[in-house]
Amino acid sequence: MSKNLSYLSGRKGLGRNLFEELGNTVQKTGLLQDDEIERIRKDFLVGKANLHGTVSFYDFLKPENQGKKVYVCNGSACLCAGTQPALKEKLLSHFREQEIGEMCCLGRCHENAAFQYGGRNFSGNAIEKMDEILKSDISVEDDYKVGVFGTAILTRPFPGLEAYKSILKSCFQKPITELFEVLKISRLRGRGGAGFPISIKLESCRNTPGVQRFIVCNADEGDPGAYSDRYLLEKQPYAVLLGMVIAGYLADAQMGVVYIRGEYPESISIIEKTIAEMVRHELIGEDILGSGFSFHFKIIKAQGAYICGEETALLSSIEGQRPEVRIRPPYPAQQGLFNLPTVVNNVETLANLPFIMDQGGDAFAKIGTLKSKGTKLISLDGYFRNPGIYEVDMGTPLSKVVHELGGGFKKAVKAMHIGGPLGGLVPVTKIDDLRLDFESFSQEGFLLGHASIICIPENFPMILYLEHLFEFTAHESCGKCFPCRLGSTRGKEMLHKARTSDYLIDRKLMYDLLETLEIGSLCMLGGGLPLPVKNALEYFGEELKMYFKSDQN
Amino acid sequence: MEKLRKDTDMSHQLNGKREPKSKTAYINDRAYVLQEGETILSFVSRHLGKSSVPTLCDAPNLEPFGSCRVCSVELALQPQGNTKTVASCHTPALADSYIYTDTEKISRLRKNIIELVLTDHPLDCLTCEVNNNCELQTVAAQVGIRTVRYPEGKNHLDREKDLSHPYMTSDFSKCINCFRCVRACDEVQGEFVLSMAGRGFDSHIIKSNNTNFMESDCVSCGACAQACPTSAISDVFESKSVVADKKIRTVCTYCGVGCNLEVAVKDGKIKSIQAPYDADVNQGHTCLKGRFAFSFYNHPDRIKKPLIRKNGVLEPASWEEAYDYIAEKLTAIKQQFGPDAIAGISSARCSNEENYLMQKFIRAVIGTNNIDCCARVCHSPTALGMQKAFGTGAATNSIDDLKYADCILVIGANPTDAHPVTGAKMKQFAMKGRTTIVIDPRKTELARFATFHLQLKPGTNVALLNMMLYYIIQENVIAKDFIESRTEGFEEFKEQILRLDIDQLESITGVDKHLVKQAALAYAKSPNAMSFHGLGVTEHTQGTYTVMLIADLALITGNIGRKGVGVNPLRGQNNVQGAADMGCQPHQGAGYLNAYDPEINKQYEAFYKTKIPFSKGLKIPEMFEASIAGNLKALWLMGEDVVQTDPNTHKVIAAMENLDLLVVQELFLTETAKYAHVVLPGASFLEKSGTFTNGERRIQRVQKVVEPLEGTKSDGQIIVDIMNRMGYAQPDYDAETLLEEISQIVPFFRGVKWQELGDNGKQWPVQVDGTDTKILHAQAFNRGKGKFHFFDFQESQELVKHGQEYPYIITTNRELEHYNAGTMTRRTKNVELLTEDSLMIHPEDAQRHFIQDGDMVCVESPRGKVDLKAKVSDEVKPGVLSSTFHFPEVMLNKITSDEHDTEAKCPEYKVVAVNIRKSKGKQKVR
Repeated sequence: MSKNLSYLSGRKGLGRNLFEELGNTVQKTGLLQDDEIERIRKDFLVGKANLHGTVSFYDFLKPENQGKKVYVCNGSACLCAGTQPALKEKLLSHFREQEIGEMCCLGRCHENAAFQYGGRNFSGNAIEKMDEILKSDISVEDDYKVGVFGTAILTRPFPGLEAYKSILKSCFQKPITELFEVLKISRLRGRGGAGFPISIKLESCRNTPGVQRFIVCNADEGDPGAYSDRYLLEKQPYAVLLGMVIAGYLADAQMGVVYIRGEYPESISIIEKTIAEMVRHELIGEDILGSGFSFHFKIIKAQGAYICGEETALLSSIEGQRPEVRIRPPYPAQQGLFNLPTVVNNVETLANLPFIMDQGGDAFAKIGTLKSKGTKLISLDGYFRNPGIYEVDMGTPLSKVVHELGGGFKKAVKAMHIGGPLGGLVPVTKIDDLRLDFESFSQEGFLLGHASIICIPENFPMILYLEHLFEFTAHESCGKCFPCRLGSTRGKEMLHKARTSDYLIDRKLMYDLLETLEIGSLCMLGGGLPLPVKNALEYFGEELKMYFKSDQN
Repeated sequence: MEKLRKDTDMSHQLNGKREPKSKTAYINDRAYVLQEGETILSFVSRHLGKSSVPTLCDAPNLEPFGSCRVCSVELALQPQGNTKTVASCHTPALADSYIYTDTEKISRLRKNIIELVLTDHPLDCLTCEVNNNCELQTVAAQVGIRTVRYPEGKNHLDREKDLSHPYMTSDFSKCINCFRCVRACDEVQGEFVLSMAGRGFDSHIIKSNNTNFMESDCVSCGACAQACPTSAISDVFESKSVVADKKIRTVCTYCGVGCNLEVAVKDGKIKSIQAPYDADVNQGHTCLKGRFAFSFYNHPDRIKKPLIRKNGVLEPASWEEAYDYIAEKLTAIKQQFGPDAIAGISSARCSNEENYLMQKFIRAVIGTNNIDCCARVCHSPTALGMQKAFGTGAATNSIDDLKYADCILVIGANPTDAHPVTGAKMKQFAMKGRTTIVIDPRKTELARFATFHLQLKPGTNVALLNMMLYYIIQENVIAKDFIESRTEGFEEFKEQILRLDIDQLESITGVDKHLVKQAALAYAKSPNAMSFHGLGVTEHTQGTYTVMLIADLALITGNIGRKGVGVNPLRGQNNVQGAADMGCQPHQGAGYLNAYDPEINKQYEAFYKTKIPFSKGLKIPEMFEASIAGNLKALWLMGEDVVQTDPNTHKVIAAMENLDLLVVQELFLTETAKYAHVVLPGASFLEKSGTFTNGERRIQRVQKVVEPLEGTKSDGQIIVDIMNRMGYAQPDYDAETLLEEISQIVPFFRGVKWQELGDNGKQWPVQVDGTDTKILHAQAFNRGKGKFHFFDFQESQELVKHGQEYPYIITTNRELEHYNAGTMTRRTKNVELLTEDSLMIHPEDAQRHFIQDGDMVCVESPRGKVDLKAKVSDEVKPGVLSSTFHFPEVMLNKITSDEHDTEAKCPEYKVVAVNIRKSKGKQKVR
């Protein structure tokens, strides 16, 4: 990350944004041509190398991926379901091999097979209608179950814009300190996985001097298996956007940025439409409801890089820099987007704000456990009998989710990968020991994360799953810190070699690597990978021992 | 996915709850004193030594980055508390925290990281350029790595070397992805030539459009090579190898920045140059001239024997012969025509001691005030103008003050080319969005990044500054208290300014008055505003006036006498400040005492122990006229190529040809030396000791790195020899003893002692007790009160006389790769980077004359014509052209004029009336 580049990109800011400019240019011309490079370089005062550096980072922009027409989801759920080869095979009758790319993941984990064509996502079964899809611009809306166990906060039906107006009006009538008090009482913690109290970020941002402040909604839901943010963006867009307006008011920010992954084209268009509607109804814009508070929106379409879900990488991404993870301090609340005070929050976190401001902090805090308040959205993949999105009170037993809400497994499952690729690998034998809250998971050596659940079928080789996890990290590593850049690739190589040849892994070396990744990595991509691997080594030692040298323990 | 963030407990950072009670923290359970705001790495290295915590991505002049993770330590917030592993380079050291630097866990981590690094690194240390000076090698040894346990996998060992560039080299098979080069190019030079590309394991360094060094936008500063911990980026001189016998610290001889250099010597020859990190002036940075352009020093073209003109031909002679010849001639001329028929021009490239000797020779031995130096053709208006306004003709502040400035005003200067290290600092300033105002006819590199670029018509500085002063007064954003207590002449000045017709000035300058107003108010309203100016201010008929108006701006806004403010000329040559300080101008002797005052003269007479003239002496242009008129018979030039560098070449040549004796001390047979009767082979800065005074009044030690080339002598010794030969007893050239002599006559050198100058020198005035002065005029001005002066704009006579017939204006400038007449840089590989002078021309003008990029253009002025290759560029406005005089093949000064600054006689290089046409002239073939 370069402070200079942040400043230079900040000169144009979000108006004519460098990242968008690069995205649009590549989209238009396929590759970044020299004359375009020259034009953008002069305009934004950055180096040619910076532009190549940024473009070459993203799956959708990098030169070697140009010319792809259709993308097959290669997320973990689709992998475990083994649906990818068949889907690719069928696509080959419509496309040339080099026109078929991969995306990770399209968030259709409830169907366990998906592809993207022409900026639209389709479930795997839609392949049967491919001729029709190619000819028209039809969308096949996906259909998944949405359920509640406990209080409906995030899944409650949209009460209408008038109701939202009155929430906002009542906010404007109260002193800021009182609003912060409400937020503190609610004890709302970030839902992106880290669980950091949102009130502290907002307050710190507010208290940092700056000519402008930003609220950034992290809608780069990259965790394979997770689609709860997609649910919110597409089915509850008002809650997300009103949450951002409220956050903006609290932080004294003037600008909201919704950073949405390019793998979710429908989310982008729905949010776009909703913003326009809210502008029409004066919930967004200049002098909102006569309060004197102005708040504007910008949607940034991401270009395919999991690391952009990490908040500092996300900020660099918006700036058109390479999304390499930044060191902290400085924290984004002090020096964020364009070096200005910024609060980055997950979709789900922000979507809670209208409820809290409407019902009060106590109403929220009385839901959940001592430390984990409110509810949590759970994404269940297609191995469940009732796949879909469920909102449960924090503290709900996992068994309740698996057996009652999810209706149990369709086929025999040996473990669940909960909380994304960096979450824990929970053997089915542990289901009864876990409740859905931050503390329960961490006490048992797992991670709640974003609470997506991917099932690993009984017959799926654990070594292959581990290789997939290392490969995922190796593919998505930003390459900044040594442990992750080198370690993820070396780990993948070792596992692959052990799986496909008579090579046996030195167990001490594997543990050295895991420790190096865990304590040495700059961010949780490298730092989080060891958790599921260690879980696997602990709970599936028998299955895995044939790949390790036997003379060690 | 926010959970990707690892250290989630930031509440102590944000809430400020953990206010430090005491300022100590514990390293391995021992308490040490903590400094405010430092990182753990800096805290530990300060107490336990530099290598106590290994690191690969940290570098002294770069921001913390946190990529290698090798510097990790364990951190607990209470005794025996839970520890967390953190990278020490970017984790703040907190009071009362417990830091463990080498626990088993940490040792294991470091070793395991290095093992990973070595899985993708060639194991050819013994044949590697940086063997024994490789940071990876050192850290690997430190952490005790023996074997790599990983099976063979993907690697990058087959990457090709880049040997495209005359200086820079790369071999990315050795790259460890520490980003130091990328950061150096960004944070130090501000060029963004390098970036990482790709991601993860495939991430790799690229140059510009993913090309080689030569084709890239690289400015060859070498910062990346110096920053690289291995030999992934290096230079052709292998500056990171350890084979040198010794390394000597000295000061660069090129521009007035005064970069410190560390010169590696092997077998009596210079091997390479690096920039020391502890240098106050350049902090580990320097430019391609300082770092790479040293090979002129033993170039075959060096003159190695005195030459005497016999039968019209310069022939080798012995020193004795040459001295005899000169002494005899000088004595005869002095006897026949008097001492005023002899003149000397000293050299701003030589040391203070040599300049002091030169003026002493002319005044005390010859007996005339006909002494001048090249300050005449560059910053003489600055010295004069600032003396009149403030009482002292030197920069009021230091470059380091950029840290404290809120606004910089850069007038008539292109520092990224002409003062690259200062330019890089200004660019860093501007890039960060700090208020930067550039006044320049060209869209310079700095102007691209500036908040305001006032692109005025050449020669209209006075009009533009008057506009600024007008708005500042009109909007009443003046510093009333400062004006009242520290200045004089304001009321009258104000009246005159307010009488100006602003619309008329707008049309004169060609700059939108609203833009000027905004810029003026930005300058006036900034808490600390600092101005810098270059030759674009001085080399005009109204040069001195412009300097005084810049001083007015500082006075009216109270921007004088503290950090981050002031008026700061960017001195062109390494020692042009010193040459003037030492008395190389006719009207002021050593220490700027009035050379025409009979009372003061007594002081000099007593000190030099001989009769000293107090009659008026000649300035450089007057010398030429006197020669042509037959009144000047002998001229002594120390390292000054007047034929190539002074304006109106034909006239200068006529002056040279009319002399009875022209003595030239030189390294090479320059254009001027070709007209000499005697040429004396001098020595370069690498071959002698002395002091240079940089543009911020910093007197720094130049240390002899190698012996003078056989047959050559230091310029100081040559002067000493001739002084003795002409009957004046002067001890042999020795920097230390001469500096002692100087300190007794130059008031502001009073406390200067060779031994005490240390590595970073001292800024004059230096008190008897040795304390130096960073900021001038802090309490009072040298002349008492600061004086306001008003001047109205006057069109240059060049345009008045010739503007109709010659409708274009050509303004001269400098290119980064070459220095002045190029005498030195053209004899280095810099010439491969920039091979010729070219003509910058606006696309509209080019189109009008059917000129395309690369075409030859004949540029004609009333004095003569030159052929230049066109470089079509919107860097200049329509009607304005620009070029350089680095190459004698062009001799641009054939067309420059005789117009001079009305006060200081500085030539007007910046406004020349010309006409252009596409020419049939051949392109230079190399």
